[in-house]
Amino acid sequence: MSYVLNCEIVSHDQPAPGHFRMGALAGPIARDARPGQFAMLQTCVGFAPFLRRPMSFEQIRGEKATFLYRVEGEGTRALSTMRVGQSLSIQGPLGNGFPIDRTVRRHVIVAGGIGVAPFPGLAETLTRACRKPPEVIIGAATKRHLLCGDIFRDMACDVHLATDDGSVGVHGLASEVLETLTPGPDTRLYACGPMPMMRAVARVAAAAGSECYVSLEAQMACGAGACLGCVVESRLENEGERMVRVCVDGPVFDARVIDWETHDFDYDR
Amino acid sequence: MKPKLEVCLGGLTLKNPVTVASGTFGYGEEYARYFDIAELGAVTVKSITLRPRAGNAPPRLVETPAGILNAIGLQNVGIDVYLAEKLAFLRERGATIIANIYGETPDEYCALAERLEHAGGADAIEANLSCPNVHDARAARGPALVAQVPEQVKAYTEAIRAATTLPLIVKLTPNVSDIRAPVLAAQAGGADAVGLINTLMGMAVDPETRRPRLKNIIGGLSGPAIRPVALKMVWDASSALRIPIVGMGGICTAGDAIQFLLCGATAVAVGSMSFRQPDAALRVVQGIADYLARHDLPDVNVLVGAMKP
Repeated sequence: MSYVLNCEIVSHDQPAPGHFRMGALAGPIARDARPGQFAMLQTCVGFAPFLRRPMSFEQIRGEKATFLYRVEGEGTRALSTMRVGQSLSIQGPLGNGFPIDRTVRRHVIVAGGIGVAPFPGLAETLTRACRKPPEVIIGAATKRHLLCGDIFRDMACDVHLATDDGSVGVHGLASEVLETLTPGPDTRLYACGPMPMMRAVARVAAAAGSECYVSLEAQMACGAGACLGCVVESRLENEGERMVRVCVDGPVFDARVIDWETHDFDYDR
Repeated sequence: MKPKLEVCLGGLTLKNPVTVASGTFGYGEEYARYFDIAELGAVTVKSITLRPRAGNAPPRLVETPAGILNAIGLQNVGIDVYLAEKLAFLRERGATIIANIYGETPDEYCALAERLEHAGGADAIEANLSCPNVHDARAARGPALVAQVPEQVKAYTEAIRAATTLPLIVKLTPNVSDIRAPVLAAQAGGADAVGLINTLMGMAVDPETRRPRLKNIIGGLSGPAIRPVALKMVWDASSALRIPIVGMGGICTAGDAIQFLLCGATAVAVGSMSFRQPDAALRVVQGIADYLARHDLPDVNVLVGAMKP
């Protein structure tokens, strides 16, 4: 079940330059949301921009849902100007969420940049389900852009940091840190971040025999499965099924389903 | 006394003048979670082709000022899966179904129309002669769209007309210099109604990567940005035609819909606005009813072509 509701913004902070965390009272949307799902947020009352913007649920606290986002264009810029007390139209929850299996022995989260957004909620759910917290790798360009480290540490996760410039943690990629943690057939990986990062994690998973779930993003118009704008190439053989919709068939996919070879990486931010 | 909302498109009676634009509403299931789709005058489903189509490589969508450029490429499940898996839901919900069909040749359109009628898969057929997003082998010889060539519009319409007794709407393109020739051709070919307009051809480029924003390079523009163009075409067409028009192109509100009725449309379709507001089409139905009550008008048909010059 999905809803379109006008929700009160109750918090709006800037944890890092250009990065915002908005909290809104989302009623049944918050109640029903699962880690990995997302919502379509209306960023303005007029048509600049026209479409809603897809945002992962970061965490849910009762009725309050938080969205962690980076300002990248017109929509997120408009969103960043919204104030506490204002009304935000939220459509959700949407998408399929991460699979939760407490019989899996080892869970490792790999986050790149703003891709960390869906993982606080996932880490909480895994901690509850498995009676122990997941391991978390967070990669970012630089120390300033590393988000949610405190949230994971408060949950007692083992947190490993990586930065492109070496300003904190390992000087290198999140996928390189992952290799040093030696995942194996008993490991389930969850990855969200730039497409090249997720492809790298998928390769590590394949070599190690680990399960791997990636959370993708795409330009979306409807977010609900109707417009077919948000597709990504899969390895499914059937012509009618080959292009999978990130909004309803995903955003979470088994990494082996995605056709990494055909994907045009030039189009990803 | 409640105002009458019923309209007729040839042999098809709609409980109200509002449908949805093909390609913006899937096969109804996606939006059924937000409102009762049977309350619409009709649900116009995503274009159905003989074989399943994967559609164009992504990116297929880019937002533009007050609009969207799309190059979906007619991804659809194909007629077999439509009949076996999608139809039942629509019938169970009690929706009136307009089946949009696309083929590479007149024979393909005919085969689709026949199968749909035979299987009870549609209450009306909408022939999509105007999608700008499919690569056509004939493009090398001339215009890529059937709907840009009046003789072809007439030939295709005649063929489909002969293949089915279902009400036939012919959906046409605005990418022509004079809309009157194609609409008259559709009328001459035996169409019960014409759909105006499909998308406007457009493109967008990323200045940083220097690449087109759409993998297909070109796409179709829809949304509020095109409404004035759509409106003018409905106005031009209505003075030439005796068959009714389904007006579409950037309709967001009941006020927008009424503009189209005043310019000569008998029915309207809400398209891109559903992406932003899932129950947009239902709100247009309600808004038209409110308008009639407010203006003390007994029947929505009073508005058709009633613009005061």
